Amino acid sequence: MTLDWSVVWEHREALAAGTATTFLLTIATMAIAVPGGIAVALLRMYGAVPLRALAAGYVELFRNLPLILVVYWAFYVVPILTGVGLSALATGLAALALNVTAYNAETFRAGINSIRRGQVEAALALGMSRGQALRRIVVPQALRRILPVLASTWVSLFKDTSLVSVIAVTELAYVSMQVRAQTFRVLEMLTAMAALYWLLGYPQAKLVDWMQRRFRVTE
Amino acid sequence: MGAAADPRTVRAKSGGATVVRYLEVVKRYGGFTALAGVTLEVHAGEVVCLIGPSGSGKSTLLRCTNGLETIDGGEIEFEGERLARDERTLRTMRQRMGMVFQSFELFPHLTAQQNVAEGPRTVQRVGNAEADRRATAMLAKVGLADKAASYPSALSGGQQQRVAIARALAMEPDVMLFDEPTSALDPETIGEVLSVMKALADEGMTMVVVTHEMSFARRVGDWVAVFDAGRLVEQGPPDQIFDAPRTERTRDFLGHLGWAG
Repeated sequence: MTLDWSVVWEHREALAAGTATTFLLTIATMAIAVPGGIAVALLRMYGAVPLRALAAGYVELFRNLPLILVVYWAFYVVPILTGVGLSALATGLAALALNVTAYNAETFRAGINSIRRGQVEAALALGMSRGQALRRIVVPQALRRILPVLASTWVSLFKDTSLVSVIAVTELAYVSMQVRAQTFRVLEMLTAMAALYWLLGYPQAKLVDWMQRRFRVTE
Repeated sequence: MGAAADPRTVRAKSGGATVVRYLEVVKRYGGFTALAGVTLEVHAGEVVCLIGPSGSGKSTLLRCTNGLETIDGGEIEFEGERLARDERTLRTMRQRMGMVFQSFELFPHLTAQQNVAEGPRTVQRVGNAEADRRATAMLAKVGLADKAASYPSALSGGQQQRVAIARALAMEPDVMLFDEPTSALDPETIGEVLSVMKALADEGMTMVVVTHEMSFARRVGDWVAVFDAGRLVEQGPPDQIFDAPRTERTRDFLGHLGWAG
């Protein structure tokens, strides 16, 4: 068996562009799913009863559907139902954001529940409204506490973005598969793809570990 | 001879305006009656100490004062107004009542300075400069000017509780509510908190103090209320309560604590 690694270098520009899209998808998804997760968690915990049910239903729906199914559904079924067709990238982003928002909502809910009652009472005793107590006292502490969980969600998400390759979003996995199909260099391209994901993912995981130590709140 | 003539039973500061008035206050938790009709007055400048065994209702009464617990019967008046039930009015009343908790409840993500400035900044909206000025002044008052930049986790229990007192004082309250402020402290740091409280009392701050520190109640209290099973079994000046208790229940309680009476 002869190996020809030059195929990786020859397609460096396409791979770089795919990597950029992978990062873009990860960042954009989290940019939606962090505030979205907080909003859904707060609705589920403090909203009016119908809103609570809606938020709980949303979380349970998307937490229990395979992500790849949501991606296909968003791409093939939603345009038929609504008549609105988004680009593959926007569709992929929407599917990822729906999924990760549901996970983040549960993470935030656990974080908020972990802040003891006395903290809210101390805030109320100062004359704060419940909203102020949440914004100023509870949520900032909860965020710090769940940072490790959010971080591992981030690292998972970075890899899970590869699932949107099935609807031809030109991110890293899709580009690698394309090159593989054109050149028949299966071993080289799959190895290169693995190396790229690992080399990009590992420093992110380490960065997150560092953030966790840096922002830890001790009691 | 009437009781009023006995110097041990005279209420020294009863001339001040009534700050808090509890009228037949009832509080239930399900089938458990925590307060079974408690009537008590707190006058301006007075230190009123609530004592009694655990679970006797004294902390519950304190928590009803600023509406952390809602009452099921009777009435609480604060500065002549009935304690509000609606959140908005209740909030404006709470701003005039400082509260100190047994477990401090400092905000762990904020420095001592930020903890103290938080109320004036967020609730009273006095502006950052004024909030910081007040925080600096209040930390100095409790002897912790040098800890302004420290997070609560870096402070001892006694220091945390003094920051908590400063946090309440920064709102410039008319009354301070203390819920067993030294019960969670190591013996060696209890003294520093009690002396801050004593200094406050000497300045004329109106205080309601739930405490197991009988020597504090006796030395600093102007009026002592003894609780048992949700009822006020006796109230009077410390000399009466500690030297000549009038009820069997008070004698029992103090006897268990080693007070000869």
